[in-house]
Amino acid sequence: MTNPDLQRSVSSLNRVEIVERNLDEYLENAPQPIRTLEGHEPVREGTRLTAREAIAIFEDQVLSRQIDVAARELKKTGRSYYTISSAGHEQNAVVGSLLRPTDPCFLHYRSGAFMMARARQCGGTTPLFDTLLGLVASAEEPIAGGRHKVWGNRRLWVPPQTSTIASHVPKAVGAAFALARVRRMGLSSALPSDAVVLCSFGDASINHATAMAGINSARYAVRHGNPTPVLFLCEDNKRGISVDTPRRWVSDFYENMRHLHYFLAEGDLDSIWETVRLAIHTCRTSKSPTFLHLKCQRLWGHAGSDQELSYRSMEEIEEVEARDPVLANARRLVDLGVAEPATLRGIVETTRERVRAAAEEACRRPKLTDAKTIVAPLAPFDREACRAEAENVAAPEKRRRAFGKELPEEVRSDGRRTLAAQINAALTDVLVQHPEAVVLGEDVGKKGGVYGVTARLQQRFGSARVFDTLLDETTILGVAQGAGQVGLLPIPEIQYLAYVHNALDQLRGEACSLAFFSQGQFTNPMVVRIAGFAYQKGFGGHFHNDNSIGALRDIPGLVVAAPARGDDAARMLRGLVAMAATHGQVSCFLEPIALYHERDLYEPDDDGWLCDYPAPGEALFPGEVGVYGTENDDVLVVTYANGLRLALRAARRLEAEGLRARVLDLRWLNPLPGEAVREHAAQCGRVLVADECRATGGGIADAVLADLLEHGFEGRARSVRSLDTYVPLGPGAEAVLLSEDDIVGALRSVCS
Amino acid sequence: MKRVALFCPGRGSYTEPSLGTLPEDHFLVRRADEIREEFGLPSLVELDAENKFSASLHLRPSNVSPLTYVISYIDGALALGEHRVVCVGGNSLGWYSALAVSGALSFEEGFRLVQEMAILQQEHEDQAPGGGQVVYPVVDEEWRPDPARRAAVDAALEARPDDLFPSVHLGGYEVLAGTEEGLTWLNEHLPQVKTSTRTYPLRLFKHGPYHTQLQGPVSEEAFERLASLDFRAPKVPLIDGAGRQYLPHSADPDELRVYTLGEQVVCPYDFTTSVRVALREYAPERLVLTGPGNTLGGACGQIVVAEGYRDLHTRAALTEGEGAEFILSMRR
Repeated sequence: MTNPDLQRSVSSLNRVEIVERNLDEYLENAPQPIRTLEGHEPVREGTRLTAREAIAIFEDQVLSRQIDVAARELKKTGRSYYTISSAGHEQNAVVGSLLRPTDPCFLHYRSGAFMMARARQCGGTTPLFDTLLGLVASAEEPIAGGRHKVWGNRRLWVPPQTSTIASHVPKAVGAAFALARVRRMGLSSALPSDAVVLCSFGDASINHATAMAGINSARYAVRHGNPTPVLFLCEDNKRGISVDTPRRWVSDFYENMRHLHYFLAEGDLDSIWETVRLAIHTCRTSKSPTFLHLKCQRLWGHAGSDQELSYRSMEEIEEVEARDPVLANARRLVDLGVAEPATLRGIVETTRERVRAAAEEACRRPKLTDAKTIVAPLAPFDREACRAEAENVAAPEKRRRAFGKELPEEVRSDGRRTLAAQINAALTDVLVQHPEAVVLGEDVGKKGGVYGVTARLQQRFGSARVFDTLLDETTILGVAQGAGQVGLLPIPEIQYLAYVHNALDQLRGEACSLAFFSQGQFTNPMVVRIAGFAYQKGFGGHFHNDNSIGALRDIPGLVVAAPARGDDAARMLRGLVAMAATHGQVSCFLEPIALYHERDLYEPDDDGWLCDYPAPGEALFPGEVGVYGTENDDVLVVTYANGLRLALRAARRLEAEGLRARVLDLRWLNPLPGEAVREHAAQCGRVLVADECRATGGGIADAVLADLLEHGFEGRARSVRSLDTYVPLGPGAEAVLLSEDDIVGALRSVCS
Repeated sequence: MKRVALFCPGRGSYTEPSLGTLPEDHFLVRRADEIREEFGLPSLVELDAENKFSASLHLRPSNVSPLTYVISYIDGALALGEHRVVCVGGNSLGWYSALAVSGALSFEEGFRLVQEMAILQQEHEDQAPGGGQVVYPVVDEEWRPDPARRAAVDAALEARPDDLFPSVHLGGYEVLAGTEEGLTWLNEHLPQVKTSTRTYPLRLFKHGPYHTQLQGPVSEEAFERLASLDFRAPKVPLIDGAGRQYLPHSADPDELRVYTLGEQVVCPYDFTTSVRVALREYAPERLVLTGPGNTLGGACGQIVVAEGYRDLHTRAALTEGEGAEFILSMRR
């Protein structure tokens, strides 16, 4: 008696072989065509697809399929680390063959055949071996260097995506939007003026918020008259892992959407080819978003580890296998007389053979083993190169054209400026110095920012460079990424710190991972300005007084800066822009809202918080802290942002009691300037960390104290922090936030 | 049968030791001499049978090119019978041999191409004399990359963009081409490298500034004179000097024609990339090199070592054990 469970399980394990055998058996037994077409002949009447082109597509599909077979084989012997396959999605080779190598492509993970077809257009590329190196996580894999299995290639203009959740859609839209923007700004581009941007994803992914946001923003952009030639390729295999997509779910939603062209590619290879050609043509000529709905199958489960039989019947599995696109194309080519069965059999056999041989060679190639090598592309920083970049200042007459008669550094005494005014001047200088810089965000244009920080920038530099976006942080950061990748230097603004959280993955999963997963071959330079922190005298409640920065500090490679004083802000912003221009660095510039318009430090009307505009070219970089009262050595107060003003006031109060505190402004919250803190702590012997962020949310106090401890600091050390809570509206805010009194009390205690 | 990648050498491969290596009774040799007669050119058999090697006679393009081609073709045909040839490529003139060996041109058509190109190059040389090719190593004696030599080459190309050009990327060697002035400058400025047998920069005798824009008129004329050349899809995958692959059932003969008479003549020939593509995309068990001579052995060895293919990471590894068998030269 046979055990049905066992039989099912064995059948499941052999699905790869079964699909392979289906193709072999068909080609073995298929009838000879009556007439075989010449290579240049169309495969049938009414199409321009030639026999030769159809075979080339078939070759690419077979190559992709055989790589998937090899991945499963290598997995059996523990030599491959990735089994999500392209099997069943091979019709995407048609798109790969019809797009140009100068059309940037943001691809999802079932793009094997697409990549084979695209690489065919560029001599000298080695898509088979590159893919195999990715599967075995070899350090020689040319794009990610073994950091992940991705589809990417610098020459082929395919930036690597790790996205499985459509989080790459907003940046693809951003790239399409920026292609035209680059020209409007009068800049030259390495990409042709009629390039289109491809973004592919699965049918399950369209339900994701980022996909919705991306497609929405593309439509919004074109509705506003901005050319946005993005081709959305939805590869519909009718399910996401084990969850079925309802029938017509994709087409019901996108078929009749305004400001979006829709094409359904299904049926035979030649029909698909015609539809794809038309979709690309439409996108290219109309420069507007186009949705190409490509019907696919999913063979062999979601990945190698996915036991499909746990949620699908064997009949269903066999039904899908019967619709294998490679098999279907073989039939079609034979039926149309494009090729004899023996020809296709030869293609399959030789491909099988060479993929096997190449896989063995790929396994011999070295793996990543050294931590230093692995993290090297994360956030490279050459201080001297960045400083030189920052010191490269535009000529005074050029600056005068933007600023007017008087340059900001020439304004003296009564003209001293607030933090907001300093940032405004620094942004003006950046826009003068970098013709590729753009400022974008909600309300940054016409209104000049909620707090006037971007006031007059649009009048000075035009709406092509300083522009309002729709109200969606995912889109803002997506546009910044795409724009950065096609050569712009974006300075996006997130209106409030609380709003960055809904788009955080755009920084964590996407922007900051790009250089890492491409070994710096692709970067998306940007300085994200975020108005944040609390202390708005009870106004605004939590959403406008957010003091949770842990999520930002958690992102590998992200530089987080928090200025307190206006002159520091200008110099830090210059530093971040120089790092973006030099290394493609992504950074967040956390601007303390409560200090934007603050004028006074100790007394009403003392104008102690105003300052002069620092000389152009002066810049600050990570590690470079601000120190106040260097002659004092009773205690060191380590703080940042609003905390600096509170600490300086507290120190002044204690001076009367004979306690002389030195105050250190961290300025850089990631990476933390540990070395400088240790040096000053050693000189003072006692340390108080005044951390205005949520006690367990920011991690600044924890990190500073841990660093001191681990480096052998033996003096007294403690911290004061804000409470672990959302910030309430009204006077209650003061009860939960770090206060001047808290600092005074703690200083007395640490020095007692 | 072993899976092998087959490569045909360029014109510099027919040298003094090659005398007498042409099988005079071979039907293709006889056929070649018949065509030579139509062109009014001396018999290859007679040239090959000369007692003494004469550089001015044997290395004349219209003589040495067909000699090289015929020997390569005969060797190639032999290799196709003895091995499972998974892809074919060549270096420089060897591209023409590769076209014929792979079946993209018949032997006769390939011969016509070789002969016409040699004549065209000669005519061009007569009209605009001077210029040529120079070889320079960018690796050391152990085939390890030598960054200083590489930098010297890059600096030279940067310094003289109008009269010096990259011509062939040949494994551990760079072949540079240029006008007479350019080459003189190069000779004075590139640091001299002496090996046990040669001194570099080494000028290639009777070689024009091939694979550069200086050959533009040759290319234009070739499109006219060779318009009827009958290109076909190759019978085995063919890899060109940009690393492009032409596959038996999908290659477009017109693309082959446009590449052969256009890009191949006026753009650098990247032999390194073509071998690299063969190694990576076809994973052969052997590299087989046709004759004449064995001039490609070193360059191929350097490419294999740079790749670390089959764990062959050093020059020594290619001379020991199994490594020594990886590159099979059909002639010595």
